Amino acid sequence: MIRYWPALVSVLLSLGAIAGYVAFLRVHSVRNHPELYLVAFALATLIAGVAAWRAARWPNFVALALSALLLILGGYFNFVLARVPATATALRVGEPAPDFTLPDAMGAPVSLASFRDRTPVVVVFYRGSW
Amino acid sequence: MLTELGDEGIQILVISPDPNEKSQELAQRLRARYRFLADRDLAVTRRYGLVHARGGNKGQDVPRPTTVVVDRRGIVRWLSLSDSIQVRPDPTAVARAVRQLGP
Repeated sequence: MIRYWPALVSVLLSLGAIAGYVAFLRVHSVRNHPELYLVAFALATLIAGVAAWRAARWPNFVALALSALLLILGGYFNFVLARVPATATALRVGEPAPDFTLPDAMGAPVSLASFRDRTPVVVVFYRGSW
Repeated sequence: MLTELGDEGIQILVISPDPNEKSQELAQRLRARYRFLADRDLAVTRRYGLVHARGGNKGQDVPRPTTVVVDRRGIVRWLSLSDSIQVRPDPTAVARAVRQLGP
């Protein structure tokens, strides 16, 4: 079993990268660097690849298949699925924010202009949970 | 998280196409002083030019993740437009932008 330690390291690195990313999703320095899990998957693929090249045995191939699959899926998610295309936004720093009125959670209408001269406002647009 | 700013009395308006009941749940779960506003048909999101066309998991239009700091005169003073759904602005950067507006 001991001679399969590179395969084991590769699998643990892949799974550890996923667990770590999910566990620290609320830490912005982790969340805002999704490329870190890709680096981990690439390293895991390299380790398993070298192991499989040196000893053509099934644990090495399993580790190689797993890490390569995660690298491809992770890359597809990060570079394709998660991309948000640029939009022609009406917002410019130094210019007025367009006013709006929307219902709050209680159904009461809230307008941006109602905070004028009272308090700064942070407006966050998020995708929603559907 | 922007909870600290909310605790300081800064208004935080969080806009999504979610129905109000869903946002209410989220507000209680986060125990945050955010005011969730429902833009059901994305009319405001569209007016702001922040629609990610067919970006939802069912191919529907969704808002592009964006954070805007508006000062007391209604002027945009800080802006973060995300180009990845995985990335959010650093809350300390948002807080700094708000504090720079002065008391």
